[in-house]
Parts: sequence; C-alpha cells; structure tokens
Amino acid sequence: MDRSYYLELAESGLKMPIGTHLVLHEHADAEAILLEGERLGSVVEEAARTFGAPMAIPVMDLKLEKEALLSSHGVPEAEIDQFHFKEAPEQDWAVSATPRMKATCEAISHVAKNGEFLPVGMGIGPFSLMTKLVSDPITPVFLAGAGSTAEEDEEVHLVERTLALAMNAILPYLEAQIKAGAKAIILCEPAANMVYFSPNQLAESYEIFDRYVMEPNRRIKALLDAHNVDMIFHDCGELQNEMVSRFATLNPAMMSLGSSRMLWEDAALVPNDIVLYGNLPTKKFYSDSLVSQEDVRQLSAELTRRMRATGHPFILGSECDVLSVPGAEATIKAKVEAFLK
Amino acid sequence: MSELQELTAAVEKGNRKEAIRLTNLLIEAGMPPMDIVETGLVPAMSNVGEKFKNNEIFVPEMLIAARAMKEAMAIIQPLLTAAGIKPKYTAIIGTVQGDLHDIGKNLVAMMLKGANFNVIDIGTNVPPEKFVAAAKEHEAQLVGLSALLTTTMPAMKTTVEAFRTAGLNTVKIMIGGAPITQEFADEIGADGYSPDAASAVDLANKMVAA
Repeated sequence: MDRSYYLELAESGLKMPIGTHLVLHEHADAEAILLEGERLGSVVEEAARTFGAPMAIPVMDLKLEKEALLSSHGVPEAEIDQFHFKEAPEQDWAVSATPRMKATCEAISHVAKNGEFLPVGMGIGPFSLMTKLVSDPITPVFLAGAGSTAEEDEEVHLVERTLALAMNAILPYLEAQIKAGAKAIILCEPAANMVYFSPNQLAESYEIFDRYVMEPNRRIKALLDAHNVDMIFHDCGELQNEMVSRFATLNPAMMSLGSSRMLWEDAALVPNDIVLYGNLPTKKFYSDSLVSQEDVRQLSAELTRRMRATGHPFILGSECDVLSVPGAEATIKAKVEAFLK
Repeated sequence: MSELQELTAAVEKGNRKEAIRLTNLLIEAGMPPMDIVETGLVPAMSNVGEKFKNNEIFVPEMLIAARAMKEAMAIIQPLLTAAGIKPKYTAIIGTVQGDLHDIGKNLVAMMLKGANFNVIDIGTNVPPEKFVAAAKEHEAQLVGLSALLTTTMPAMKTTVEAFRTAGLNTVKIMIGGAPITQEFADEIGADGYSPDAASAVDLANKMVAA
C-alpha cells in the first residue's frame, strides 16, 4: 500500500487502541465467536467502530501458529499449550490451518468485503514462536551468541531447528491472511528482547540477534513486500536502542513498542516514514491505583506533546493488545475511552 | 584462590565443566557435601542474585550460572540423600491457572534452589487445588505463584483463597510477575511480593524465618 496512508493517519492526530479482545469479551460467547469467521469479522469491525479506528485488527492471540504446527505433527490438543520439543525434529511436515486460523481468515475476508475498515492480519514472529517450542530457549541462545554451533551443542541445534519449523507455520498463515484480503500484517515479536538476549553479550556483538531475529523477519518482510502488504512491527518487550534501530531496517509502515520505551527518543532511531505507535501502559489499566483515568489523560497529553515536538509521525495508542481482565473490564474500557477523548 | 572459591567463581561464570571438576575434587578431598553447598554453591548464586539486582548481569547469565550449579548439585545430591540430609525449607512454585508463561517462575525456582530450598516446581497453568495438594503433600513452608498476564491475575486470588479455605494458614504465599504489585499482593491476601527473582530469595528467607 501507499505509505502515505499511515502518515496521513498520524498527521490527522489519530488515536486508537489495539482493542478487539476488550470488545470480543463483552460478548457472552466470546470463545465461540473466535471459531465463526463472519461473526468474528463483525466483532473486529465493532471494535474498530467503538474506538474510532480506521483499521480492523484481529485479536492478538500468539498461540495460533504453535497450535497449527503441533497439531499438524500429531501432538494431542490437550498437550499443545505446554508441549516443548525435547529433541530437534529433523523432518519438516506440512502445517495445516486450524479452525481458529480459518475463522480469522474468514473474518479478514468479511472486513475486506465490507470495505469500511482496512483489513489487518496478525502473526507471531519466528523468534517468539521458537521460544514457545522449547522449554529453555534462553540458555542456547546465549551459548550460540558465545560461539557454540548447532553441530557442537544439541540445545543450539534444537533452537535452530525449531526456528526453521516456526517459519513453516508462520509463512503459510500470513499468506492465507493476505489471500483473505489483509492489507497490513501486525507482526508480533515480543520475545526479541533483553530477557532472551543478554545486553552484556550484545555489547560485544549483535550477530546472534541478527541471525535469530532479523534474518527470519527479513524473509517475512520480503513475503509481505511481494504481495504489497504492509508490515506493522510490534514488540512490547524491554528493548535496547540498537534493537529498535535494527527493527526499523525492516522498514515497517508502523512500529508499535511497549511502554518501557520513550517514543520521543525512539523517534531519533526510526526513519521519518515509519509511524511510531503506542505506547500507553495499557497492561496496567486494570488497576486504578497503578494508573488512574487522570494519569491516562496526563500520559496521553505528555506523549502527544513530546512526539509533536519531535515532528515524527505518531499515532497514540496502547502498548499491546488491551486485554479484557475479568472483574476489571469497566475500568480498562474507561481508561481506553479517556485517552481517545 | 582455594578450590572452594574456584568452585564459587566457576558457578558464577556458568562454567559447568569447571564446576563439575571442582565439586568432584572437593568431595574426593573429604569436604562434607553440605559444606560444599553452603560455602561454595549458595554464595555463588547469592552473588549472581546481587549482580542481577545491580544490572551487572542479566537473565541469560543467571540461567548459565544455575545450570552450572545444577551440574554440581547432581553430584552432591545423592551424597546428601544417602546421609539423610534434607534442605531445611520446601517451596512449591508454579504459574497460576490460565497462564503458560514460565520464565519468571523458572528463575525464582532456580534462585531458591541456589539458596538451598527444596523446590517443587509444579509447572504452568496450575489450578488452585493442585497448589494446595502439593503444599500438603510436601509439607511446604512456602508457595510461590507466578503470572505474566493481567488476565490471569485473578487466578492468584482464587489460589490464595484456596489455601485459606483449606486451613493452610501457616504456609507463606509469595507472588510475582510482570503485572503484579505489592498493592495487589495486599489486596488478595498474599504474604509477600517480589519484583524479581533475586529479591524473591531475600523475601523467601525472611518469610520462612518469621
């Protein structure tokens, strides 16, 4: 798409949350809706309408690709959530779309057909998916960064094989969403952060970060570019400046970062044709003592003022998917409404 | 530097081959296994915790150190068991129902083991009744509840309530995780809250000693 679409949204002073989860859970049969494409599409549109957003954004459920990969490998449904590979599977296998994935694609088609909102897709990044497939991804990533190779170390081999398998689940799902009509994809890579990568090690070299995070994401970007679909890159983890700079080399249309980032400082790290999005501390919205409505108003005003001072294109929003917390739904929604006003 | 100090340094650096070699050496030299734990391994993990709190090292370095400690303990544990020596305190740890995240939980488990707690890790997505049953079965003094998601925080409350309903009022419950605060801990009746894995050990030691 034309990059000016996002730049003009920023210029217009748009404010919007990633808030479909919140609206979905206002429906008594939320779980059933997730499996019914047309109804899910309507809810995604309802969320966009509720929050005055021009984009129809799916629920940020980052478990779908793991479920598809493992169910296609014969892992029983009840074991999928907690399943980790103990040994590296040497063979690839075809990954079939799950009912949830099919419903999400149908929802995107529904949005595309209606034409009221920009149909947006969603997917997990390869590194983040890999971290869900092995029980301890951190140690082998560190060992690989210290020079251990897959030939020398079984754990490093496991990480590298599961990273390759992750791509086998991610790419077909992204292609399916694009085929369904997605014009932009929110690519979520929250595990690419300072928990999984030691800042001490990164101070010596970013080679392992480039190899395990950037390289697979460049392949995804190439896929999106080939279909003229925009990338909206999301990482709400704790990041170093250098990580932000490297993510910017993917040239996403928008970059969505967590509330630990000072976006007005990140503006200097990110080219001016990439819209910065976020990053109100929506994960704390459940608690009035952590963040009151007045705090939300002040944070919004300050962030808007500081970003305006940088001149960098910016859309005020949430640091992540705004989740519906049982018992705190009303206070969360009131705070979302507070920053939209 | 004595061999014991070398062992401490090897664990701190995560050098597991050296940790194994030095542990074997100290055992062969006749050092009581519990002394190796208390004067070699526990100080190593304590130093690791301090460096983590001071941002000198990060999660990966903690895990590498814990792995070296685990290798050393694999040599020592059979000797302790044979001698009938058990850790003084037992902790049950798990991620609450609905939540599959385990990094924080694993770090706290690892640091508690490093402080010579007997740690029973009951995994992720743990229902309240499983926490209660595990605490009863292992006669735990401490229970650690972890949650990463705001959506699963209410499960902490129901777990704490399950302990109180079961009458396990002497079992101390500590909670932690990215969205958790001291205020939330107070609100749900937990006995303590820790913002990170290293501080969790300090808190655990205070709680069981109280």
